[in-house]
Amino acid sequence: MNTVMVEVTSQVWDYRMPWNPGTISSGRGAGFIVAGKKIITNAHVISGARNITVQREADPRRYAAKVQYVAHDCDLAMLEVEDSAFFKGTTHLNLGGIPQLESVVSVYGFPIGGDRLSVTRGVVSRIDYNAYTHSGRESHLAIQIDAAINPGNSGGPVMQEDKVVGVAFQGFRGDVAQNVGYMIPTPVIRRFLKDVEDGKYDHYVDIAIRWMALENPAMRKYLGRPNDGRGVVVTDIFSEGSSDGYLRKGDVLLSIDGHPIESDGSVRLEGKPVQLEEIVERKFAGDEVKLEVWREEKMEAIRVPLKPADMFSMYEILYEPPPRYVLYGGLVFQPLTANLMAVLAGGADLRLKQKYTMFATDQIYREMPEPVILSGVLPDSSNVYLRGLAGQIVKEINGKKIRTLADVEPALAANGERTVIRFEGDSRPAVLKREEVDRATPRIMTQYGIGEVSRTELGDRRLAQGLARQEETK
Amino acid sequence: MKGVLFLAAWVWAGFGQAAEPDEPQGSVVRVRAAIQPFDQFRPWQKKAPYGLNGTGVVLPGGKVLVTAALVANRTEVGLEKPGSAEKCGAEVEAIDYEANLALLRPETREFLKGFQGLTLGPALRAGDTAEVWQLERNGELLRNQAEILTVGVGRYPNDEAGFLQYGVRVSLPKRDDSYTLPLIRQGQLVGMVMMYDRDSQEGTAIPGPMIERFLQDASDGKYEGFPTLGVSWTPLRDPNLREEVKAPKSGGILLTRIHPRGTAGRAGLQEGDVLLSVDGMKLDEDGNYRDSLYGPTAIGNLVRVRPTVGSKAKFLISRHGKEKELTGIYDRRARDEVAIPTLSFDTQPNYLLAGGLVFQQLTGAYLQEWGDKWTERAPQRLVELFSFQQEKRPDPDRKVVFLSQVLPAAINLGYQQYSGLVLEKVNGKEIRNLSQLAEVLDGSLEGDLIFEFMDDPGKLVLDTAEVKAKQDEIRKAYGIPESRKL
Repeated sequence: MNTVMVEVTSQVWDYRMPWNPGTISSGRGAGFIVAGKKIITNAHVISGARNITVQREADPRRYAAKVQYVAHDCDLAMLEVEDSAFFKGTTHLNLGGIPQLESVVSVYGFPIGGDRLSVTRGVVSRIDYNAYTHSGRESHLAIQIDAAINPGNSGGPVMQEDKVVGVAFQGFRGDVAQNVGYMIPTPVIRRFLKDVEDGKYDHYVDIAIRWMALENPAMRKYLGRPNDGRGVVVTDIFSEGSSDGYLRKGDVLLSIDGHPIESDGSVRLEGKPVQLEEIVERKFAGDEVKLEVWREEKMEAIRVPLKPADMFSMYEILYEPPPRYVLYGGLVFQPLTANLMAVLAGGADLRLKQKYTMFATDQIYREMPEPVILSGVLPDSSNVYLRGLAGQIVKEINGKKIRTLADVEPALAANGERTVIRFEGDSRPAVLKREEVDRATPRIMTQYGIGEVSRTELGDRRLAQGLARQEETK
Repeated sequence: MKGVLFLAAWVWAGFGQAAEPDEPQGSVVRVRAAIQPFDQFRPWQKKAPYGLNGTGVVLPGGKVLVTAALVANRTEVGLEKPGSAEKCGAEVEAIDYEANLALLRPETREFLKGFQGLTLGPALRAGDTAEVWQLERNGELLRNQAEILTVGVGRYPNDEAGFLQYGVRVSLPKRDDSYTLPLIRQGQLVGMVMMYDRDSQEGTAIPGPMIERFLQDASDGKYEGFPTLGVSWTPLRDPNLREEVKAPKSGGILLTRIHPRGTAGRAGLQEGDVLLSVDGMKLDEDGNYRDSLYGPTAIGNLVRVRPTVGSKAKFLISRHGKEKELTGIYDRRARDEVAIPTLSFDTQPNYLLAGGLVFQQLTGAYLQEWGDKWTERAPQRLVELFSFQQEKRPDPDRKVVFLSQVLPAAINLGYQQYSGLVLEKVNGKEIRNLSQLAEVLDGSLEGDLIFEFMDDPGKLVLDTAEVKAKQDEIRKAYGIPESRKL
């Protein structure tokens, strides 16, 4: 068999104490061998991995494996095994197509309940867009089957007639449904394999608009469109997104890459109706999408070059990059992220919650590509009056506007006897004496076991750029 | 707005003392209120009715005092003599939802003839004892001893800023007429119990001095209410912050936001000022003044209960390190002149139908209708405008008109999923309130009717002639009596 057991020891960052290396846990998943002596599994099986071993049914040895590529947005990863002995006597699996509704598939994996390979049969019950819970942000095509997907099934192949038709990846959230499992279908797997051909994984691209179905006759008349059941109207364009500068509010989109757009936003792809975004889903950064647009009573052909929608990266749960922070006299500054919001949970105040939920739709990123939060105050004699300020959004430090975490340290370095930190809303400012901070910092670092006073490097994390900021520095 | 446990939940506990022979006769009556709140989500109708019963205090002038919460959203209020079935309707003469007090007048003057009524007693201090009176079914009084645990400024059910209140500990058995209960000491009224937690057996009471102020205000037949400063402030204990704002050596609070039309704003106080004293009373770093009776007490009592609307206010501030005296007149404008009112009892919500689109004017009551988690569940734009209105809607005359729902009909096909959208313009004309929207719609419009909203999808378009032609049909299909209430 070509299903492998993937055993992982991983470490999860603690956004409450971002300087800590995090808690260690271990888990088990499945994977399968594909062409080129690679193993495919789920991103969530190996995220945060510090040690990975793989094992085949036929061979009792465990082999060390490494992550070659990981795509958190579609919950897929590719592993490599250095020791070629692992692949001895194995053949790779081939990818099939999208299975028919009602057809039977087999799920392979190592779910709870035993240590040997388990096979479960299920029926394909639905093919639709679904949330991919691992990243928390994405929805892609997913196939629902009536076999339960349990921990340990993740990453295992779902087979039909000797071909892989999906990767088992998540169950149903909550306990209202039973025997519902989801698998990642082959168009998503193929896209991943193609994306990494150039040696790196890029994010999914997004057309970055909002549109409205054009069902209302009065609206159609207003836009100068006949009642022919075609076209949707663009209602919003995310600045800095793919369509910024190409499309306008009020444009009527009539076709995409030659596929006519129905008035409900669907197009026909391989004979099946799908949302128009599916055309974009299958493309890569730098590809173009061709749109037929009705604008100011005229038809126009517009090509939109595609790129990832960085303004939505705010909502992506982060796994690999160490949390970034700046420590100043017991004050901990962190950028606003999905992970930080998760640890603040119900404790976050309304202003912060709204900053987060409206970050993309209100285009807050134009002014503040990465809101900086005073995420905590480590109690010390130097900050007794500042503890109530935790959770506030930093507006400026020593008179300098704070737009990203990178602005914090330079602003703190300003000359002066006192440091003044102002927050959004009507909260009081935090005022610290530089002298006291200098004395307190080593003490606080020892007391709380903090090795570094800050960690600010962005790594390969992408942020919205903040047009306002660019304009100002020009 | 916040999760406050009202006097609705009671538990059997303890035994009341037997009625003593010297108890003052004719001092309390049963008050039965029929309550029917408006349905904020269907503003043309009311919700299911229910009844609330309380124990009202008869005052020497023949009027009856209850908490405002007992008679909020009433359709009818009745008085009933204890120990007899004699009944009489009552009118609300004065009501203050912030202070949670209401004054009732019997419809028949003779109804309370022979009742002596209770006079107001002196203010209590922590450690004092008093009695809470309840009525038995047979009309006998049930008196339970209460201990005053605390006296301080705290939150009232419908007031965020806070008024003086007594924290009381008392063991109260479950009785029918307990939604409002008097607090009595030596045969005099010293407070009204307004909240009670059956688990801790602790509650809060409206102090006598609050009642006294309320009755004084109501005595001329024109009730004005308690004034408000219209400021947000923060304590000034932090020596670093004191240095930064150049505060004097001790005392004072930092003003962080000023309502431009409020008492403080019109007196010239500014954001960043350090408020040192009000009307000659010095404030400490936590905003307390030294009350002659209660000792250190929060500024809320100083500026809201002591002065009356229209009286003079005197402020001593420190601005950029220089002391300055400012004078003004106490008023309620910071409370009353706002874009989105917090309180709205007894009145039908405004609405307007146009082509099946339902427009409403935003109130705190509408948001509250979303339940305890309204900040999460209600449309986020509405929550934002309400919660941060001093930043987002500083102009009190620009109300928030929003599309609350769409009643599906052929002419609004494709719009039926939209709700919670704030309306900005109609055919290019800015909309500042619901009446103005009505005027614009009644005007000589023709052709496209273009609604512009703050948020996605931005624009919804209907045909003017069709909207007019179908108006009655849609209204009738959904059984709505009127197409608007302005």
